[in-house]
Amino acid sequence: MSSLVKSRLIKFLLSLIIVSIAVLIIIFNLRDNIIYFYGPTELIKNSDKQGQIMRLGGLVSVGSFQNETESIFYFSITDGENEIDVKYEGILPNLFAEDKGVVVEGVYMNDGRFIANKVLAKHDENYMPPEVIETLKKSGKWQGE
Amino acid sequence: MSLYIFYISNFLLLLCLTASLMQSSKIINNKIFARPGVIVLAYVQLISILLSFLILIYLFLISDFNIDLVYFNSHSEKPLIYKFSGVWGNHEGSMLLWILILVLFNFLFALSRRISERFKEITVAVQSIMIFGFVAFLFFLSNPFAINQNNFFEGIGLNPILQDPLLAIHPPVLYVGYVGFSLVFSLAIAGLITKEVDQQWASIVKPWVFSAWAFLTAGIALGSFWAYYELGWGGYWFWDPVENASLMPWIAATALIHCVLILQKRNVMQSWTIILAILTFSLSLVGTFLVRSGILNSVHTFASDPGRGLFILLFIFLILVFSFSLFAYNSEKINETSSMDLISRGTGIQVNNWLLITILTIVLLGTMYPLATDLLLNKSLTVGPKYYSTTIAPIIILFLFFMFISPRLGWTDTKLYKIIIQLRYLIITSLTITLIISLYFELFDLTEILIIFFSLLLTISSMTSSLNFNKQNILVRTNLGQNLAHAGFGILMMAVVSNAVYSEERIYNAKVGDNLQLQKYIFSFDKIEQVEESNYNSLKAYFLMKKDGKLIDTFTPEIRFYSNPPTITSEASILHKFFSDIYLVMNVPQDQQSISVRMHIKPFMTILWLGAFMIIIGGIISASIRVGRSDEK
Repeated sequence: MSSLVKSRLIKFLLSLIIVSIAVLIIIFNLRDNIIYFYGPTELIKNSDKQGQIMRLGGLVSVGSFQNETESIFYFSITDGENEIDVKYEGILPNLFAEDKGVVVEGVYMNDGRFIANKVLAKHDENYMPPEVIETLKKSGKWQGE
Repeated sequence: MSLYIFYISNFLLLLCLTASLMQSSKIINNKIFARPGVIVLAYVQLISILLSFLILIYLFLISDFNIDLVYFNSHSEKPLIYKFSGVWGNHEGSMLLWILILVLFNFLFALSRRISERFKEITVAVQSIMIFGFVAFLFFLSNPFAINQNNFFEGIGLNPILQDPLLAIHPPVLYVGYVGFSLVFSLAIAGLITKEVDQQWASIVKPWVFSAWAFLTAGIALGSFWAYYELGWGGYWFWDPVENASLMPWIAATALIHCVLILQKRNVMQSWTIILAILTFSLSLVGTFLVRSGILNSVHTFASDPGRGLFILLFIFLILVFSFSLFAYNSEKINETSSMDLISRGTGIQVNNWLLITILTIVLLGTMYPLATDLLLNKSLTVGPKYYSTTIAPIIILFLFFMFISPRLGWTDTKLYKIIIQLRYLIITSLTITLIISLYFELFDLTEILIIFFSLLLTISSMTSSLNFNKQNILVRTNLGQNLAHAGFGILMMAVVSNAVYSEERIYNAKVGDNLQLQKYIFSFDKIEQVEESNYNSLKAYFLMKKDGKLIDTFTPEIRFYSNPPTITSEASILHKFFSDIYLVMNVPQDQQSISVRMHIKPFMTILWLGAFMIIIGGIISASIRVGRSDEK
């Protein structure tokens, strides 16, 4: 083999190895890090999702908010049809309030409760996360345009 | 009054459309539009757009609410600077700014010398086709000068999150970066048409591509700076789709600038350089318009109708189809002359090109996958930030290695072991420092240790080679930009890793009189005050930071209540020290008695910004050195 062909061959094989390793790593990592979004009704129907990290969104039910200590909170998230009780330990965003839209991230437990480790912040009072609008539309409780 | 302005400004837009059409016709060598010349038309394009932009600024400053755009995005009580920055804090205004920069690059290029007349004509013609497209889009689909007859007395206001001095400069800087690549794209197309993609072409492209890259880097850094200081999220990068959208053209552009350099020095990789130029500009378009279209939801999204999004998608599609068919048709005629030796600087740069494309793919996949499942399967999901960090970290290790070794290799075959022997002191020093760091700070993760080691190696190696005065004195001086940027990247990576490992966060719910602890510091919650400002009311908390009973500093995190439009924002209070930032944010949820305080220790933030700054300065230096080393012999 001439040195030109040889060097091209080495380059080609090297890039092939790099590409295939990279593709494998990317795909496995992507699969491990996907966080799905559910509404309360959807989540209750898919009880096999228990134990996974996911996002849950809807409205904070009126009258459901309580704090046990100063940083442990309980509230329910509703889509007007079903409710899921949420326990959250941490800091609540400025705009968190009953009857407002909310998205939380955490684990759906075997007993049907949701342990949240994040309450996602919103930017203004009238803003409603698109996923929450979608959830409310699915349950027929959406009153916007 | 408003009606006159409406006519004048629309006349100006039409004037620019006409000039751009005449300019574009020069792409075919015709006699009809030989006059007026390229420079005259470029003047007309620039002046018409500049005037309409100034008119728009004027309308915002006098708060003329008969103009729809001013009514929806401004408020008479806003401070002057935000009336001014409000001009581009909306879809139409930012489009006009985008076009202004497009025209400005066109103009500057038309004035540049030492370029063959025909090549200049074609480049300007391609650029003018884009100007025509965007001005037509502005004129027909998002006219900033649309008027209403309602005689409103007051406007709706600008989103308070956007009311920040940094936000007055972040979009223009980012846009100069994005739009700068439009000229690089036009140059690539002109090169394909004239079939002259060679060393001379690379010399013409070099200053433009480097300055666009430096601006894009600065734009991203400013955005990240803003997120850190203004949004109060306690971090500088979140792998948010919007951030990714600006990172993708940056990655492609980083590959591109290195290819332009190889092309200039060795006359190889012509096709790949052209592909990268097209890719970078397409990603810049995606970067601007994906963000603006409303597909991604974030602060950056301006309300927009589907027609606009469709136009931009169509435009990107046309650009891709046109340029790649031209490429397929003409690429054989761009001669690939020599090939490279296996162990040489060229190979090193090529490998890093591949690594950059891999990182680009990772980011692209992570950003687009949720969009795709949402559109195709109607299923919402998010890709967690861990996907990016765990996938990219191992690639960064390889990337840093090649970044360190490549500049040390020659352009022709080099013996690797000789280089290693030559650099033995450097390697031993870096290894020792890394060992000390990892033992002292109890750092035992292999990936993190390797990143620190290679970053250190890269930084020291780049710094010493710019100070190293050997016999090839000239080479040393012209490489200052490269060495500075490379050292900056090493510093940035070290700061990123140590910041990720040693950041600490504490969350408390506090009442006045409470003492909160973060590491060795005690924070006493002293008092809480209400303050009235011209455009908002605020709730200000005072925390006294003490160490060993001694008062060190007072922190005043704040919550602002804006009324136009009604919004609440949290303002962080930050103490900068050389090795770490201490960062306090507070929140007051509506159904709660006490305030919540989030406290962060963010190590190496100052060093992180320093690294980014060095990269930007390096880019500017490389852009301003007109003639690179034509050849080292």
